[in-house]
Amino acid sequence: MTAVQTAPPAAPETARQVAHRRWRRSRGILIVLLALVIIGVVLAALRPKVRAEYLDPDSPGQQGARALVEITRQHGTPVTVARSVSAAAGAVNSNPDTLLVIARSERLTSTDLATLRALPGDRLLLEPSGDALEALAPGVETDGVTSGTISPACPLPAAADAGSIDLIGGQVYRAPAGATQCYLGDGRPSLVQLPVGGANVTVIGSGGPFTNERLTDAGDAALGMNLLGSRSNVVWLLPAPPPPGAGGQKSFTELVPFGVKLAVLQAVIAVVLVALWRARRLGPVVVEPLPVVVRSAEAVEGRARLYRSRGAGDRAAMALRAGALERLTALLGMPKSAASDPAMANEIVAGIAAHTGEPQAAIGAALYGPPPMDDAELVRLSGYLDELERQVRSS
Amino acid sequence: MALTGRTGLLALLGAAVMVIVPSWWTLLAVNALVVALVAADLALAGNVRALGLHRSGDTNVRLGEEASVSLIVENPGTRRLRAEVRDAWPPSAGATPRSATLSVPPGERRRVDMRLVPTRRGDRRAVSVTIRSYGPLRLAARQLSRRAPWTVRVLPAFPSRRHLPAKLSRLRELTGQHVALIRGQGTEFDSLREYVDGDDVRSIDWRATARRSDVVVRTWRPERDRRIYLVLDTGRTAAGRVGDIPRLDCSMDAALLLGALASRAGDRVDLLAYDRQVRARVEGSTRTNLLPAMVRAMAPLEPELIEADAAGMVSTLLARVRQRCLVVLLTDLNAAAMEEGLLPLLPQLTAKHLVMVAAVSDPRVTEMATARGDASAVYDAAAAERARADRSRVTAELRKYGVEVVDAPPEDIAPALADAYLSLKAAGRL
Repeated sequence: MTAVQTAPPAAPETARQVAHRRWRRSRGILIVLLALVIIGVVLAALRPKVRAEYLDPDSPGQQGARALVEITRQHGTPVTVARSVSAAAGAVNSNPDTLLVIARSERLTSTDLATLRALPGDRLLLEPSGDALEALAPGVETDGVTSGTISPACPLPAAADAGSIDLIGGQVYRAPAGATQCYLGDGRPSLVQLPVGGANVTVIGSGGPFTNERLTDAGDAALGMNLLGSRSNVVWLLPAPPPPGAGGQKSFTELVPFGVKLAVLQAVIAVVLVALWRARRLGPVVVEPLPVVVRSAEAVEGRARLYRSRGAGDRAAMALRAGALERLTALLGMPKSAASDPAMANEIVAGIAAHTGEPQAAIGAALYGPPPMDDAELVRLSGYLDELERQVRSS
Repeated sequence: MALTGRTGLLALLGAAVMVIVPSWWTLLAVNALVVALVAADLALAGNVRALGLHRSGDTNVRLGEEASVSLIVENPGTRRLRAEVRDAWPPSAGATPRSATLSVPPGERRRVDMRLVPTRRGDRRAVSVTIRSYGPLRLAARQLSRRAPWTVRVLPAFPSRRHLPAKLSRLRELTGQHVALIRGQGTEFDSLREYVDGDDVRSIDWRATARRSDVVVRTWRPERDRRIYLVLDTGRTAAGRVGDIPRLDCSMDAALLLGALASRAGDRVDLLAYDRQVRARVEGSTRTNLLPAMVRAMAPLEPELIEADAAGMVSTLLARVRQRCLVVLLTDLNAAAMEEGLLPLLPQLTAKHLVMVAAVSDPRVTEMATARGDASAVYDAAAAERARADRSRVTAELRKYGVEVVDAPPEDIAPALADAYLSLKAAGRL
């Protein structure tokens, strides 16, 4: 033998070793869990905060748009606030010379968008969703995000007059030919104006400049007022969040991306592999024929249970009396045969009475009397026999 | 073949790839890669079939003590063996560790030490050795179960050996310093010595006295070289557990103490275990190897759940022993078994031999007999009284035939039997 391996230590592990072993075994899982938590926290922190009040024309909060609306009203353009598509449609239809401002368009369903498309008049889309863009400004597509303060650099008066604004984090677009493009960052516009069916549709990639918080920055207020004041009337549509379940024409499986489906399939394969790993035993189960376990007193216990279930007080009393008689005759110094000899009964009873002082009749009834009527009597009989034995023994 | 957790993890990493490059081709490629890596790992794993397995270590261990058995794994191949090895033993062998990790370079050997703490008497055989040989990537392993036979015989514990010194000193009193002055059947002439006050006048040797001026007495000592035949009943009554150990084990313990004592006393001891056939036999052992021979013969004995054949046992005994001997029958005083089996045959035995019956009584019955309080306890007591009455009736029957009966609870049976033997010897009745 070239080398000897001393297989696992014979000494039992200490608590410290056990703790160390468990730590080593589980640290991989713990590290993965910790990484997941950190990634989650970072993602949550990076996610843009869209509050409920965002671009709400009635909200005085930082993210609201009440300042812009109030200033516009003071400058003589009435602003109607619509909280639903039907209200907005009603307001627009009553006065076709209206600019319809659509904020939070991600809350609109496809039916809503169809309704809006049929309305006359100009539209201003603030940070439109992909669906809204497709329905209301056909040809315009999102093309990434912008950053930094950008100057208008376009012939649109509303923008040119306002000057450069901060559109950080806003969307930029790819516009069709014939559209007016403003605020170009890397050649892609943040503001697009294009004619759709005889009306002007203006798309701006960020609603940030029109919030109360930022309205006083750079040319934000000017741009807002220029855009809103282009018509005699303004309807500001801030759709209420649709009730849960509304507009869900797509099933869950249609919404799940293909890659995720494949990943789930691959995860199933991984689970099968893990199951194969766990299912494979290190060698067969060892079977061992074991000896039967028969308790020696089982027969005696069984007999006791039989006595009880049949209420065999007579048999039980007979056994108890025989045992007591045998011990009593031995204590009285009588021959062994006396215990089972009926002829000796009187002599035995007299002998016991002499030692205990109990009445002979009681002793006779206990040792040779009729069998007990019920269990209570049997218990009393056994107690009395014990008492006799104890007295004879101690005398 | 066996996989490891790493294969599952690898496949799970593939799930992340699916999200990044969603395509059926990706799925195919990832799983093909997993299969290829597993196949490569299997191909590169150390060869299990060619391994040499050798054993060494203890072959006997007393119940309750620890044995060590080594498994030597020899790698004659050209690749290093990285393996998990499980040496499988039956559960009652109490083998640890369950498995060991080995790394055996080509052409070398490694040893796995197993500790066995058996929980039961008898032969414990190693079942199989399972070797899981991992590939270098530890993605998959070749696995094979091989035979590497080894048997450890678990001998009876013999706890009553602590009584042996006390019994031996009593024996010395009988044989040495304390010589008997009474001539009996089992005594032989020892020596002549001067008469001292108190000696029995009947033992005066007048012929020797006449030759000398003093009065001389003859002394006798217990006869040596008597024969003792221990008979273990391995039938159904031996299977009953008294406390937590089978009655057979208590009987074995008593037989071992008596055997040790009698062999020191210069008597010849033989052993027979019988139910319906001869289960074990030890005959003609010398004084020094009697105890090991008895222990080895007893180790694999298990009680059979059949009624013992008393007639067969008596005829076997009578056929084997011609000269007068002490037959010690270790059984139970079960009324039914005794009355049907042994009692009618006793005259055949007692005609020629001295018979002693040793039985282990159950403390549980004694406990039940004293139970009082409610009806069920009293019924228990009644049943126990009935059992005791049966037992004492059988005892009385046996004594009528001149049979010595030793009936004691398990912890007392061995010394009680030894005492009975010593008193027989002292009385010269052997």
